[in-house]
Amino acid sequence: MNQPAALPGAPGAPTSPAARRRARAVLGLTLAVGVGLPGLLFGLIVALTPLRTVVPAGWSEGQVFLLHAVGLAVLAVVLVTFGAVVSGITVWWEMRVFARMSSRVGYNRVGAGGFLQWVADAVKLLLKEDLVPADADAVLFRAAPYFVIVGFALTFVVLPFGESLVAADLNVGVLYVLSVTALVVVGILIAGWSSNSKWSLFGGMRSAAQVISYEIPAGLAAMVPVLMAGTLSMQDMIRAQGAWPWEWNVFTNPFALVAFVVFFIAQLAEGNRTPFDLPEAESELVAGYLSEYSSFRFAIYFLVEFGNLWVMSAIAVTLFLGGWQVPFVGPEVYAAARGAPGSIPGAGWWGLQVLSMVVFVVKTLAVLNLIVWIRWTLPRIRVDQMMSLCWKYLVPFAFACFVGTLFWQLLVTAAPWAARATGYALTAGFLVTAFFFLRLTLRNVSAAGDRVDLTNW
Amino acid sequence: MAQNVRAYAAAVGTTVRSIWHGMSVTLSHLLRRPVTVQYPDRTPLPVRDTLPARYRGFLEVDPAICTGCQACERACPINCIAITLEKDPANPKQRLVTQFDIDEAKCMYCGLCVEPCPTGSIQHTREFEASSADLRTLTFRWAEKPFPVYKVAKDATYYPRAPLGSILRPMLEARRWDARGPEFLPPEPPKVTPDAPPRAPGAAGAAAPSRAAAGKEHKP
Amino acid sequence: MERLILRRLQADGEEMILNFGPQHPSTHGVINFMVETDGEVIRKAIPDVGYLHRSIEKIGEQVGYPGFMPFTDRIDYVAAMFPNEGYAIAVERLLQVEVPPRAQWLRAISCELCRIASHLISVGTMAMDIGAFTPMLHGVRERETVNDLMEALCGSRLTYNYHRIGGVAFDLPEGWRDRTLRFLDHFDRFLVEFDRLISFNEVFVKRLAGVAIIPAPLAVDYGLSGPNLRGSGVDFDLRRDMPYAAYPHFRFQIPVGKGFVGTVGDAFDRFYVRCLEMAESSKIVRQALESLPDGEYMAKVPRRIKPEPGEAMSRVESARGEMAYYVVSDGTEKAARVRVRTGSFTAMGIVDAISPGLMVADLVALIASLDVVAPEIDR
Repeated sequence: MNQPAALPGAPGAPTSPAARRRARAVLGLTLAVGVGLPGLLFGLIVALTPLRTVVPAGWSEGQVFLLHAVGLAVLAVVLVTFGAVVSGITVWWEMRVFARMSSRVGYNRVGAGGFLQWVADAVKLLLKEDLVPADADAVLFRAAPYFVIVGFALTFVVLPFGESLVAADLNVGVLYVLSVTALVVVGILIAGWSSNSKWSLFGGMRSAAQVISYEIPAGLAAMVPVLMAGTLSMQDMIRAQGAWPWEWNVFTNPFALVAFVVFFIAQLAEGNRTPFDLPEAESELVAGYLSEYSSFRFAIYFLVEFGNLWVMSAIAVTLFLGGWQVPFVGPEVYAAARGAPGSIPGAGWWGLQVLSMVVFVVKTLAVLNLIVWIRWTLPRIRVDQMMSLCWKYLVPFAFACFVGTLFWQLLVTAAPWAARATGYALTAGFLVTAFFFLRLTLRNVSAAGDRVDLTNW
Repeated sequence: MAQNVRAYAAAVGTTVRSIWHGMSVTLSHLLRRPVTVQYPDRTPLPVRDTLPARYRGFLEVDPAICTGCQACERACPINCIAITLEKDPANPKQRLVTQFDIDEAKCMYCGLCVEPCPTGSIQHTREFEASSADLRTLTFRWAEKPFPVYKVAKDATYYPRAPLGSILRPMLEARRWDARGPEFLPPEPPKVTPDAPPRAPGAAGAAAPSRAAAGKEHKP
Repeated sequence: MERLILRRLQADGEEMILNFGPQHPSTHGVINFMVETDGEVIRKAIPDVGYLHRSIEKIGEQVGYPGFMPFTDRIDYVAAMFPNEGYAIAVERLLQVEVPPRAQWLRAISCELCRIASHLISVGTMAMDIGAFTPMLHGVRERETVNDLMEALCGSRLTYNYHRIGGVAFDLPEGWRDRTLRFLDHFDRFLVEFDRLISFNEVFVKRLAGVAIIPAPLAVDYGLSGPNLRGSGVDFDLRRDMPYAAYPHFRFQIPVGKGFVGTVGDAFDRFYVRCLEMAESSKIVRQALESLPDGEYMAKVPRRIKPEPGEAMSRVESARGEMAYYVVSDGTEKAARVRVRTGSFTAMGIVDAISPGLMVADLVALIASLDVVAPEIDR
């Protein structure tokens, strides 16, 4: 009785002209939001970041200052919007990947491929009632989400999207990132305390303990590429690496490989991702420090959590995986295309910038996928086990890598071929490992009597 | 907590190995077809046709072969079947079933009524899609028109039942999601005010009880 | 009831008392735990049950013997064949009716498939409570196939109402046997993959090994049964030690906890005993399908079941423990008393004994490893 008219014919194929038009409209809207919105934002980033250093001929100082200030303001808005949009798209991607991994079809109704579901979720969250508990500290309860989102948004200032596509290439970039992500701890603590609920307090303190403890191995592991590059600036660190995998930091130094693993794990913990998501565990009693938040304030926390995936991945890519370096394009190519400094560069240069940004985005998405994949494979670690993991395993390993890199750098200065040889060896080792892993994966499929089948989206 | 080097290295080793295996399993699932059947509009067949024959869906009564034995009414543990038999005024030897109501909202689809039926008149069909907005539409009245009881021949080997579902499906079609509830209760008496003339019961008054009494439990 | 518990807790002068439930994604059903904690460590956790009480035992006195069978499904709807069987055996003992062998075999087949389905939910939810969501969904996917098999067999996916007093309701449909054997082939491979995904995952093991250890004497004292008891190392299984139905004819092992990765009687033992039991059930179903005797699937019982006045008891090895029925007849068509003893209800008792000293995350692991379902507790 409730059977809709779409049944005869291919499953899922709309049959009536009106339904077909509707499906096309939905697809168009999805592409507009899914490709258009990030594309627009990326385009703005590409356009605005280098232009801030441009000094048009004949303008007065005041006019140039005004131009740069406006450009900066627009860029700031673009970057924060980018953070929010990428957070939503990450939610969509994560849910689709999780669904497929658990033999389900995920979101696939709202928008083509379910892409607009995050928009719907965001709108739903915004439309909820904004509750502030009666006994909560009025000012701090309202302020806590803003600490968290400021800590998140500030990291975009130094993210190197491309060769010249960084909002501010601070010469203390790495230090800046590590410090600014610590603002999130402040936000969490304030949230937990001001909710005036014992479970929120617990959750807040647990989460703060987790993030603070894991800052240490993260920082130590981040020092390894700093030692290798000799600089704290994000762009210079990328320039010190090469484009090919055997020139990345992670493969040219065996200690850096271990440091990458340590850094990755520590970033998972700092971002409250499984296996370290105990403070927000749904299976536990409450959502921890978030339990009293609703509507937009809650949306901010979620935005930050998923946006942090991007930030974590981007920092890992910058420090260890060669950033935006494009193969076959060295610094002389960029310089040649740049032309005279102070003038607006030609199309070739813009093309190179876009190319470098594409490389950066692809690498970031790869690491992001890894984070998502780990989330849906591993269970979560208990609080005390998390602490012992940090202090007994990660910190000693991070120290060892740091000290090892000190000696390694001496070795490399004396014998540069060691870095190249290690690069080749570790890249080959990685490829062999990946081959065995994929072979095991395909064997899993046949061992269960299944086939590789990518249908049923 | 003294931990010797071996235990430490073993801990790291088992962690790496178990993560390796776990992640390869989840990645392999990414490559396999999900088992989800996307109901209701992306199924290759209507779901009710993929259900097995014994599926205990909505009950259907074929009045043509109902013998009026009331075995189903007695077997039902929750008394959701109500049968009333009366003598036919035209023919005193013939009995008529004047009420055969099954409250499908109360029914727990256990199948205990199907077993004692001597002719197989009451059966479970494979219909399950009958959501409606009013609970009372789920009381199926199989004796809207009173029917005579079926006389079973002494040496009968089978009973000519209508195809399963053929009587039920039109009834389900008639119960659209937005259909008004049936008129089980009399309409409320008209409110007489001194100035306004009394409204005639019927269209105007009937809408009120079907909305207002929707939550009331109807005892068949 | 709540006030009594609160008073007991507050008598110690502690303040952090919180309700763990009744709406909670982690407790398996509507159960409330009143937990008194001291920071992260629990001092006392008292279960507060009754939110799902539906007077099923009282209903048993009103609907007559055959009419009560669908209600037994609702006592434990995750593994509904066991309550069916227990009730049928108890009334058959009252009526002194002998069940034909084919019916015994069909009962064993349906019960063991149901055990597989129930354990899939149990280990899946255990993994989910520990934080791994994927194994739960894989388990439910396998359970879907069992549901489909049950649907083909008796018409319903959850509340089967398949066993009858004197036998079973239907014989095997065509092609069911091959379908089941194909499923079992696939399932045996699934268990291997499941082990690789989660059972020996180091994080999972660390969460469960050595956690919530129930020593064997305590388990016996508190009346635990089923996988909870066997997880503590006590080798007792009704199917082997007090055999009923067709079980004497099958060869199968009884998995017993022996500290697979931690201590005997910890949460991992209870988890892994269930995993091993699934493999054993698969073996039993294969043997049963192979040796299925021909004949009637239902004994001749009178149309109106009116046993002589008396009482009878039956004990079946349900997925959650021992399920016992005590049926008292007073000579009429309606029972005088139907009493159900379920494994989950007794498992609630041990929470109070084991929980002091656990962390809250471990309490979640304990409750999950006891495999309680609220309908069984409250009936």
